[in-house]
Amino acid sequence: MGAKVGSKNSRRVLIWVIAFSISLAAFYLMDQVVMGMQGLPLGWDLSPAQ
Amino acid sequence: MKLNSRYWLQRSCRYLPLVLTMVIIGLFTAGVPSSALAQSPTVEQLDTHVETDGVTGELDEFLLPAPRPQRSDYPTIGVSSRGIVWVIAQMHLFFGALVLAVPIFVLVIEIIGFKSGDDRYDDMAHEFMKVSLTAYAITALFGGTLSLSLFLLYPDLMTYLMRAFGSQVLVYAGLFFLESMLLYIYYYGWNALRYGNRKWVHLTLGLLLNAVGTTLLFVANSWTTFMMAPSGVDPETGAIIGNIWEVMKGPLWNPLNLHRFIANVAFGGAVVGAYAAFKFLSAKNPEEKAHYDWMGYSSNFISILAFLPLPFAGYWLMAEIYAYSQQMGILAMGGILAWLFVVQAVLICTILLAGNFYLWTGMARSEGSERYRWAIKYIATVLILGFLVWVTPHNIIYTASEITRLGGGNHPVLGPLGIMPAKNIAVFLMLICTFLSFQLYRRADKVITVSWQEWGNALMACIYIVAIVNIIFAGIYYGYFTNTVYKVGSSVIQVMSTVVVIVAGVVIDTLMFKGAKNLHVSWGKVSNRSQYALFALPITFTWLMALMGYVRSSVRTHWHVYTVMQDNSPDNFIPTLQTVGNMVTLVTLLFLAFLLFIFWIANLSGTRQLPPLAADRSPTLAEHAT
Repeated sequence: MGAKVGSKNSRRVLIWVIAFSISLAAFYLMDQVVMGMQGLPLGWDLSPAQ
Repeated sequence: MKLNSRYWLQRSCRYLPLVLTMVIIGLFTAGVPSSALAQSPTVEQLDTHVETDGVTGELDEFLLPAPRPQRSDYPTIGVSSRGIVWVIAQMHLFFGALVLAVPIFVLVIEIIGFKSGDDRYDDMAHEFMKVSLTAYAITALFGGTLSLSLFLLYPDLMTYLMRAFGSQVLVYAGLFFLESMLLYIYYYGWNALRYGNRKWVHLTLGLLLNAVGTTLLFVANSWTTFMMAPSGVDPETGAIIGNIWEVMKGPLWNPLNLHRFIANVAFGGAVVGAYAAFKFLSAKNPEEKAHYDWMGYSSNFISILAFLPLPFAGYWLMAEIYAYSQQMGILAMGGILAWLFVVQAVLICTILLAGNFYLWTGMARSEGSERYRWAIKYIATVLILGFLVWVTPHNIIYTASEITRLGGGNHPVLGPLGIMPAKNIAVFLMLICTFLSFQLYRRADKVITVSWQEWGNALMACIYIVAIVNIIFAGIYYGYFTNTVYKVGSSVIQVMSTVVVIVAGVVIDTLMFKGAKNLHVSWGKVSNRSQYALFALPITFTWLMALMGYVRSSVRTHWHVYTVMQDNSPDNFIPTLQTVGNMVTLVTLLFLAFLLFIFWIANLSGTRQLPPLAADRSPTLAEHAT
């Protein structure tokens, strides 16, 4: 029973970690693209490249 | 069903009016510029047609400079000409916005009713049109009065504008005839064209009505934007040197078109919401209460949905004003008109608070809302904090001793909150929270059953969290720690983050709601307080429209047509903020008085007095609503 609850919780944590990673990646890409399109390139750390 | 020729004939009959409408719209929009092009010759043509005997020919009119009226050239009638035109123009704009907007969402609601087969939507759409119809006559009255007052009080300006726009104004007049015909057929033919193929005809009429109405809006917008940012004119003399398309398509035309189109829908939704609230509070039985509660919810949904993208459209308009003339832009948001944008902040926050409050109280209709009640206090906290940040001015009027105690002209904490990066963070977080309220409301009466709901909920929550962090990061980092160019550019990141949340929310929820169990919704079982929120919305919208309309007009300062035709009238000064506040309040109260009249007329049209004999038998039935 305890193991079942444990694996359920692990599954939940995994889902959230994956969802968070997808969201983070999507918004990071969006920031790079949107600023790049305006002629305002960003570095890998989102600081102004110029 | 046999797929015979009769079947295909019926199918064609359904789509033929729609196709014909598209063709007509296409021909019309292609035709307007080309017919207008024909009316003004090119500069080369003018050269070859100049009269040689010294008599001024008809075509030389196009090289006439802009008039330079002196103070004595302006007619006076004993009261402020600007005040009269201000009130009449604003009233015309209020009613124009209403009558153009209502058919837009009425058509959408009618289509929803047609597709779903639910008569409630069709009846609601018909009732919305009833409100709009009375307003249409008032719009025309104010429009006519506005024309007369402009020609009477500003004859030189009107001469110049007629010269600039020429026969386009006759096109405008013609469009009004078309709009009137379509409006009356659309409304009065509603029951005659109710089902089957006839419904397709009715929908096509609605589409045509909206096409003509939108064209009317765009044509009138060109006059406004020409006065603010003239195009197709010689900058030195003001002579009209471009064709009608060049005169119309100035740098502010499309931003204003988008802004007014969206704002009209938001405003129209708020006004019919007030009508629904009025009918809810005066309902005589639970069925009526339920019907008008649902109508109020639908109106609020339309209004808030249209309101969400409005700041983006307004931001684009302001950016184009800055790009056209830095002086004009700085005057608006950094100079004497800047305080009006603080007032605008108060009004928009009021709208958001009222809209959210309505959604929160509306959640009580469904027992499933208990799951989400915990979130309301956090959403309210963000809204209040956003309100406080947005309303904080950059410069407060300090005394000398206060400046000494502060150590400078700006407060160390409030100063940074008074500039655009902080405001952007505040407004985008408020928009996201409003969408969250709406999303929770939609989920309150459903039990989601899809197998991947855990993934969907996790993704949605993470999108919210990352978007909020992104907005705050972009606002603070680029707003306070990088140069101005990156600061301005980062606002696009904030816009896109908000758009991603809204689009993702709609898509994910639509997919997750498939096969969902619907809980009972008790329409009509909502507090009266929620209806007062529906009253607050149009009042605030109206005040906001009048205020921003004043700002739009005032940025021209002492010019009738910016940098081309100077204003030398007795009123060629920017009035005090107190005067502005009084005038804006006056037109708002006037509009609300007319609105009450419209609601009363709409109510009256549904009332039928019984014949005297029947009334004598049963006095309680002497009057009943049909």
